[in-house]
Order: sequence, then C-alpha cells, then structure tokens
Amino acid sequence: MKKLSNPKELEKLRKTIQNRRDPNKPVVTICGGTGCQASGCEHIIETFKKEIIKQSLQEKIDVRITGCHGFCEKGPLVVIYPSKIFYPMVKSKDVSRIISETVVNNKVIEELLYVDPSSGERITYEDDIPFYKKQTRTIFGSNGKIDPKNIEDYIAISGYSALEKVLPSMKPQDVIDEVKKSGLRGRGGGGFRTGQKWESCSKAKGKQKYIICNADEGDPGAYMDRSILEGNSHSVIEGMILGAFAIDSNHGYIYVRAEYPLAVKHFSIALNQARKLGLLGKNILNSGFDFDIKIYQGGGAFVCGESSALIQSIEGNVGEPRAKHIHATERGLWDCPTVINNVETWANIPLIINKGAKWYASIGTEKSKGTKIFSLVGKINNTGLVEVPMGMTIKEIVFDIGGGIPNDKEFKAIQTGGPSGGCIPRSLMDMPIDFDELKRAGSMMGSGGMIVMDEDTCMVDVARYFMEFNLDESCGKCSSCREGNARMLEILEDICVGKGNENSIPLLEELSEYIKETSLCGLGKTAPNPVLTTLKYFKDEYLSHIQKKECPAKVCKPLIFYEINSEDCTGCGMCAKKCPVNAITGEKKKPHTIDKDICTKCGTCIATCKFNAIQVKTGEKK
Amino acid sequence: MKDDKTISMAAAEKHGSVLVIGGGISGIQSALDLANSGFKVYVLEEKPAIGGVMSQLDKTFPTNDCSMCIMSPKLVDVGRHPNIELITFSELKDITGKVGNFKVKILKKPRYVDGEKCTGCGVCIENCPVLFQPQIPEKPKEPSQVRDQVYIDELISKYSYYEAPLIQIMLEVNKKYRYLPRDVLEYLSFKLDTALSTIYRVATFYKTFSLEPLGKYHIKICLGTACHVRGARNIVDKVKDAIDAAEEGLFSLETVNCLGACALGPIMMVNEEVHGHMTVDKVDEIITSLEGIK
Repeated sequence: MKKLSNPKELEKLRKTIQNRRDPNKPVVTICGGTGCQASGCEHIIETFKKEIIKQSLQEKIDVRITGCHGFCEKGPLVVIYPSKIFYPMVKSKDVSRIISETVVNNKVIEELLYVDPSSGERITYEDDIPFYKKQTRTIFGSNGKIDPKNIEDYIAISGYSALEKVLPSMKPQDVIDEVKKSGLRGRGGGGFRTGQKWESCSKAKGKQKYIICNADEGDPGAYMDRSILEGNSHSVIEGMILGAFAIDSNHGYIYVRAEYPLAVKHFSIALNQARKLGLLGKNILNSGFDFDIKIYQGGGAFVCGESSALIQSIEGNVGEPRAKHIHATERGLWDCPTVINNVETWANIPLIINKGAKWYASIGTEKSKGTKIFSLVGKINNTGLVEVPMGMTIKEIVFDIGGGIPNDKEFKAIQTGGPSGGCIPRSLMDMPIDFDELKRAGSMMGSGGMIVMDEDTCMVDVARYFMEFNLDESCGKCSSCREGNARMLEILEDICVGKGNENSIPLLEELSEYIKETSLCGLGKTAPNPVLTTLKYFKDEYLSHIQKKECPAKVCKPLIFYEINSEDCTGCGMCAKKCPVNAITGEKKKPHTIDKDICTKCGTCIATCKFNAIQVKTGEKK
Repeated sequence: MKDDKTISMAAAEKHGSVLVIGGGISGIQSALDLANSGFKVYVLEEKPAIGGVMSQLDKTFPTNDCSMCIMSPKLVDVGRHPNIELITFSELKDITGKVGNFKVKILKKPRYVDGEKCTGCGVCIENCPVLFQPQIPEKPKEPSQVRDQVYIDELISKYSYYEAPLIQIMLEVNKKYRYLPRDVLEYLSFKLDTALSTIYRVATFYKTFSLEPLGKYHIKICLGTACHVRGARNIVDKVKDAIDAAEEGLFSLETVNCLGACALGPIMMVNEEVHGHMTVDKVDEIITSLEGIK
C-alpha cells in the first residue's frame, strides 16, 4: 500500500478497489465475532477454505471473515453474496453442500434455512428475518459486509469519505456545528450532548489536547462496543480523526478492556493499515494536520469506565474517580483539555458528516436522535445485538425483534443501564425508549444492555445481584459507596434467605438516598437504582419474601423446596441415580420422594425428569 | 473551675492563649477548633513530628476509613494556621498558675538543625554517614536479579513511547508468567523509577493481575447479568466441586463480571477457549476432556 498524499488519491484508490471487485463474484461471508467463535466458527472457516480448494474454486469464490452480525444466538452465521442467502448455525458437514449447491449453482438448501419460530416459515434472505427486518442498521450494518482486517473493504463501502470531505473544505468549527446540529448524545450512558462537549473542549486552553475513545465496556450484559471494535474498527478511527480535527488535538487514546483481546487485535491491525495509508500520523492527506492513536489496555476494573477514573488509569495510577467540578474538557488527561466519547459515539461521527446533520436528526425522538445499539439478552428467543431508532417501544423490541420469551413464559421486566440502571416492568411496555423516558422511569440508557426477565426471575434476587456487583466494583474511595453498598447487600441477602423484617424496606430506602447523595462518581450515585426501581415496581415481591417467607419466582434457595408429584412420577429412578446428595429415595416403579433436609436444590433432578414430575414450591415446608 | 470567684478573677487577667499537650489526632483537632474560634494555640509534642498513633494506622474503626485521608489535611492546616505554633521534640517540665493564667516550663530538645531554615527536603537523611534511615528505601538502588532480563528490557522499550507504560508492561508480564513475579516488579520499580508500593497498589487494584501463580487451567466464569439470570451460579458451584477433587495447581477459578458474549450465556472460559450455553453436565464433560485430568 502506498501512502496517500491528498484526498483525491484516496478517492482514486476507492475507485480502483471498487472496479477491481466484481459484484457478481460469489463471496462466502462468515461471521468471526466472539459470539460465533464460541459457537465454533473457526472450524467452519477452515472447512470452507479446505472445501473450496478441494473443489478447485479458489479463483471463483472469495471467503470473507466479517465482524459480528448481531444474531449471536444462531451462530455460526454464513451469508452468501451477492444473493444474500442466509444460513444460521452452520455445521461443518453442510459446508461442501453449501458450496456446490448454493454458491456455485445459486440453489437454496431449504433445510438449512432459518426457521421463524413464530410462524414456522423458512426464510431465505438475511434482510427478511424479523430479527433484522425491524432494525435500522446504520452503524452496525457494515459489520457483515467487510473484513475488519482489511482496510480496502472499509474504503470500498465509502469508508474515510467523511475525512476526505472534511480535510480540504471544512473548518474545525464547521465539524462541531454539524455534530451539534445532529443532536447526537453520548452513547456511553450519561447522554451528554457530543457537540457541546467538543465545543467547550475546543475553546479550552492547554498546551496539548487529547481525544479518548472509551472502550472499557464493563456493564454486564452489554457488548455492542466490542462488536463494533471487532467488526468495524475503522469507523471508530475515522470518527476519532474527525473529532481530533474539530478540537485541534494531535494525540488519541483508546482505552480497551483487557477482556477483549480480539478487539485489541483488530484495532491495532486497523491502526497500522491507516498509518500506512497516511490516514493517521503526520500531515494527514497533506492537510497539515497530525494525529495518531495509542491503544491502552485496562486491567479489569469496572470503575475505569467512568471518565475521571479512566484518565487516572491512563496516567498509570489506580482508577479512582475524582470530583468533577472541573470537566475533563478543561482539565482531563495530564491536566490538558480532553474529549472522551464512547465507541458507539465515535462510530456515529462519520455518518453524520457523510449524510448530514439533517438526515441524522430526522431519526429518533425529539431529544434523542439517531439509532442506538442494544444488546438484547437474557430470557428472550432472539438474543443478540439490535440497532433501532431511538423512540422504539419496549414491546416492539422484545416481541417483534426479540421474538418474545422462550417456553411461553410471561414477560416480567427489562433491565437497562447495567448496574446503574433499573428494571422496567411489563406495565410500561409501550414506553418509547430514549434517554429521557428511561430516566423518568427511574432507569437509564447506560451503554445499551437490555436484559429481559421472565416470570422465573426473582426481582429481589436481581437487586441483590446488582448490589453485589456494585460492591465488588466499588473502588473504595468514598465510604458511602464502599460501606453503604455493603450494608444494603446485607439487608437484601437477609430478605433473600427469609430473614427480612418490617424495617428492611425503609432502611433500604434511607440508605439509597444517602449513597446517592454522598458518592463522588457515577458508580456510587447510581448504585441504589436497581434496588429503588425494583422497590417501586415490584414491592409485592419484596413483601412476600419478608412477610410470607415466599419467593414467588422460586429462585431464592432457602425459601423453596422440591417435591415429587406422586401422580406424575413413574418411578423410573433416573432422578435418584443423578442426585448428587442422594436425597431421593423410592421403590422401583413407585412414586419417589425427596428428603427436603438433604436436598441442596441443585436442579439436577428437574433436568433429568422426563415426566415433569418434580415441582419447585415455595413457602412453608409441609 | 472550682468556684465562681476564681473564674471571674481569671477572666480579668485572661491571656487568650491555650497550650495543647500532645500532637495526636485529638490534640490536632482541639488545636484547630480553638484556633478557629480565635485563641492563640501552642501544640506541644514529645516526638519530632506531630501525628501520633493515628498516622501509623492504615484504617480506622469502625468505618474502615483510610486514616491518612482524614488526617493529612488536618496536619497541613495545623502547620499553616496563623494562630497555631508547633513546639515539637519538647517536653513539659513544670506547670504553675491558675485557670486562665498558667505558666509552663518546656524543655526543647536539641535538633542540631536550624528550624527556621530547614525545608524538610530529606537530603541530609539520604546522605547520613551512619545510615540512619527512618524509612525503608522504596525504590531499589540498583537493578535486582530478574528472570528473562532481555525480555523485560524489550517490553520496557516497546512501551517507552507511552507516557505511563507501567500498566501495559504489567499486563504483558502477567500474561506471560500467569502472575506478577516479585523479582520482575522490583526490576520494573528500578527501571521505571516508580516506588514499589505504587506498583503494589496498581497490582492489587486491577482484577486482571495476580500476585500468585494461576493454575495450569485458569477457568473464568461469567457472572454478568445475562449469565446470572440463566443460572451461572450453579455452574460456579459445580466447577468448585470439580476443582476441589483435582490436584493442586492444576486449576484456578475466577468469576468475572462480563465476558461480553451475553447471547451465549452462561459462559465459561478455560484459558483462552470460550464455552457457551454451559450446563452443569457440560462442566464434567469439559473438565474430563482436559489434558492431565484423571
């Protein structure tokens, strides 16, 4: 690759790449995201490559390993271009057929197609699947089309054209104005207006300015940043270059979790390629503007996702937040003006520049513009990443895109905003999702985790879980967060084992208020949210734990017991054989019984029983 | 304050100054309160420096607050307060007079240093020929023996273009040896001119680092929300049982808060390999398939 010396050469390169590629040449795209890797896509990739050599089709077929498509539940995913025929959960034994029939002869193999669980129909094309159909995939759409390790793929789909547009003809203030007009708000959680942040940083004085991409995605249940970094690093790099140009910064950092090795790998490959082409480094495309990005890996501390803690960490210290009476935009990294934005925010920037602020502002609600990627996980049929315009209702996301709750269970709540957010009940199902609506409901956008809960999820247990998480991740600087969360967890644990009393709830509420008021950073200020929202919407569950000593969802082990229904039990003895503590006894072919004092409620017997004879009950043991 | 008469007499000849005996936390706080309400305060301390026992403690009862965090601002305040005069390295010899008008005799021990001129830079301590060092040297004076010196030096130069390379180097070291060996940390302390205590603080703050060698198979189980609602706890219990049954040093277990593959939960990682949709039965299957397991 030759270094490009001006924007025209970049355009020329794009034309050359596009002309070189034959749009009719079949391409097998295989998802290589982490989700599909865990489902064994690497083996599938190998098999495809071998099979193509075996059938001597190397010249005729391209294989492209792409980033995450979002439909992780059904991995490994294979899409054949240009026909766009889609095969989920591909097994290696099917590979040779896919090549000889679909790729070569354009014939659809019916039995390998995706089956829509609600209608039972087989669907041929990726775009027609309900999961994708209702989405607006502006940021995430390119993931499935490009090989993240090849900059040419990104350039071919008009990547870096925003840079090409900005450098020769726009002033930094024009870029800021465009972002301001678009109404883009930070995707990391707080929802601060990106344009305003940039403007105040560009006005701040300092010997140096910094751009930081926050990729310390710690919210449990959210992984969209990972997928963008793994699948389309260049869009983030381009966004960061544009941001740096807007505020006149020459140094960029990306702070990535150490738990995301593939993202680090793909991002550093992308950085090297961009440097080679002269899109990063000194005098970018002969504009006189210098900018480069360093990768900084985190050490596994949730609190480092908080901006001031993140800055501390890049400075080589432990990640403890500081008071924010002075914004990072004035004094951030090494006391210099700094702009920190989330991965998804950066990926939005090239789109805004390319398609215009007006286009961007036309998507979404009045105060929340654009699309948002959510990770739809938990008790839902179609788990995966979904990108929808702001303002879509919970119902549409859960039922139309997510395909509803598995096993015909009742939808109970969704949890958004990670450990800082809250649980939104079924009764608010028609609520449109945007920054302000979620806040009004007591939750928050967060980085976009959306965990679906069904009737089998105990809300007290969920609150307890998040408290445990917050306590574990609290850095320990403020006593209210360090100690207060510990006390709240104690109370919740008591409630879960049936030791709660009438003081428990008032005490939780009082503590919540203090912790919110007196903590320094976002972690402490929002730590009581999961408890407060569950108390607000699911108080009855708390009350049945406290007053009746019952767990309605049958989750809290000390409050439940197992029983064998003598009418359904055939006495096959399978459960007795599998029971790890030998709590089940009975004669052959006669109903068995469980000794409740020995039983550890591990659930092995339920999984074993073919007759659904084992029941979980709650309340007093008889 | 025995009777009204003494008090009224004392009030007449009141001097408006107070001597606080002892420069510990209570002495400091009293001195500050008094000085702020307008009294001239003398603080008498037997030791060369104020601070007392609390300055030697790590945490305080019952809140476990860091004691220096409470104390150091007060130390500075006392030192700077225009109404407070510190008399350190001194003893009270005699006290006469009445309430409101005491006279004290103080023995000031010799310091052999002109207190007016000393800035407390500490150079004299470093150069003292009898090596009276009140503190353990935090940074090694010379490079210590270290394993794979070439590799560590390479790492240091690889990250030399970072403003703060410490954490990045530690991540690589942790990955290579599967923990942070002490000799490497000491060597880094010398090379990067960073106090060993700072490195220790970083090493214990971030969860990725381990100060003890991990097992041959390091198992990570995700307890993120998505995995939690799908029953990841049961997997943890099962793995714990399996580890207890196995040889020591073979396994180590870590629960993590999100591996970012939520669609496949519950997730278990054995070294670098990801296993999705875990069930209790699959744990046995995976563990018995590992090399070296009976």
